[in-house]
Amino acid sequence: MAYDLFLGCVIPARLPFLETASRKVFEKLGIKLNDVDGFSCCPDPTGIELLDHKTWLSLGARNLSLCNTNGGVLSFCSGCVETLKGINYILKKDASAKKEVNEILKKVGKSYDGNVEVKHFAQVLYEYCDKIKAYVEKQLEGFKIAVHYGCHYLRPSEIINWDDPFEPITIDTVIKALGAESVDYEMKMECCGNPVDKSDKDLSLLMIDKKLNAIQDAGANCIAVVCPACYQQYEFNQRELNKRNNTNYDFPVFYLSELVALAFGFKPEELGFKFHRIKPSTLFDSINFTI
Amino acid sequence: MSIINFEFRNQVLKYNASLSYCYQCSTCSGGCPVAVITNGKYNPRKIIEEAILGLQDKLIGEQEPNPWLCSTCQKCVELCPQKVELTEIFILIKNKCFESGKVPDAFIAQAKAILDFGVAIPYSKAILTRREKLSLPLIKTAPVDEIKTILKETHFEKNISRESE
Repeated sequence: MAYDLFLGCVIPARLPFLETASRKVFEKLGIKLNDVDGFSCCPDPTGIELLDHKTWLSLGARNLSLCNTNGGVLSFCSGCVETLKGINYILKKDASAKKEVNEILKKVGKSYDGNVEVKHFAQVLYEYCDKIKAYVEKQLEGFKIAVHYGCHYLRPSEIINWDDPFEPITIDTVIKALGAESVDYEMKMECCGNPVDKSDKDLSLLMIDKKLNAIQDAGANCIAVVCPACYQQYEFNQRELNKRNNTNYDFPVFYLSELVALAFGFKPEELGFKFHRIKPSTLFDSINFTI
Repeated sequence: MSIINFEFRNQVLKYNASLSYCYQCSTCSGGCPVAVITNGKYNPRKIIEEAILGLQDKLIGEQEPNPWLCSTCQKCVELCPQKVELTEIFILIKNKCFESGKVPDAFIAQAKAILDFGVAIPYSKAILTRREKLSLPLIKTAPVDEIKTILKETHFEKNISRESE
């Protein structure tokens, strides 16, 4: 199987180590990811779409017009997936929008029919769960993981058309295939609060504080995410909250692909774990996890 | 006093007809994480009510409730028993806020980056070095002139230039 790889903005330009782990996992699974030159921002469904819908639609359709691999396009980011799936949804439903967008694309010598299949990397990992199980070299014993699905991975379900919008199973299934425990917690399905950061920092911190508090109460020792916005919200704000509120949050935050890579036997050094702000090594020591 | 603006209401209805299905049951607000955390100061039901009534000055002028506090989590859309596409309607309202220059600064900063570089976060020198160390490939992002041509067509460039003056 092969996909065009849509990297988006945040992962390659701010969190490249997440790209490293993800690429390694897909290579190991024998899934080819083709790099494509010329993509712009997806654009951000929590940013540009809110400012100007037509701009969002046009830039997104331009991105999709660059894809030509049979499997379709795959992204490591839930925001990109929501945008690209949303654009297909609109172009298929609304003939006049399709015509208008293609008139705009014509100015840059491009066109798009709405037919490129879009996939989230976690969706593919779920589909490859049996193969993943067979490739596990090191069971993730002692990992008590609070899975954060995030909003755009699931909703709006009519557009994403994947997993249950309120009782999802896909990420938990992959986590369990690695020998780790998925810890259930209050507020598991709530938003991390990252998108409100642009309009109200305090509100955004309050949202993530409530989730972290619930994760702590449930006895988890780390967090798994599948979206770079959620990743940043969890990783970058624990210390800020500790400073503000005297809390003692210290949860390493893992990308799902990082956990799969660890279980496949890749070393923390080759996965760039030193770039994590909350060091996974502390967790590894406390649960006697050596690799 | 709020003034009813029928033209505005019809614009919203034309953009998304599901607005007219709302019977104000408040399921959206009950499930909204921001409504819960702000004790109802942010209230999706109220925004829909104001849209049905055509209260443009409340929604765009005063931004009461503030549509920029929506976290776009889409729970309301899933929960609505009438299948009102709330987030879509909020997009139109925020697009109109953008046209009238009433947008939090961080949104403009992101838009400006896309206008200037084609991406929200341009590659810094430090990141390019880090990518190399991580053996990641060098990938070209969109040609800026192509992005600018599209943004000119959609009048986005004009609105952003005005905002960042």
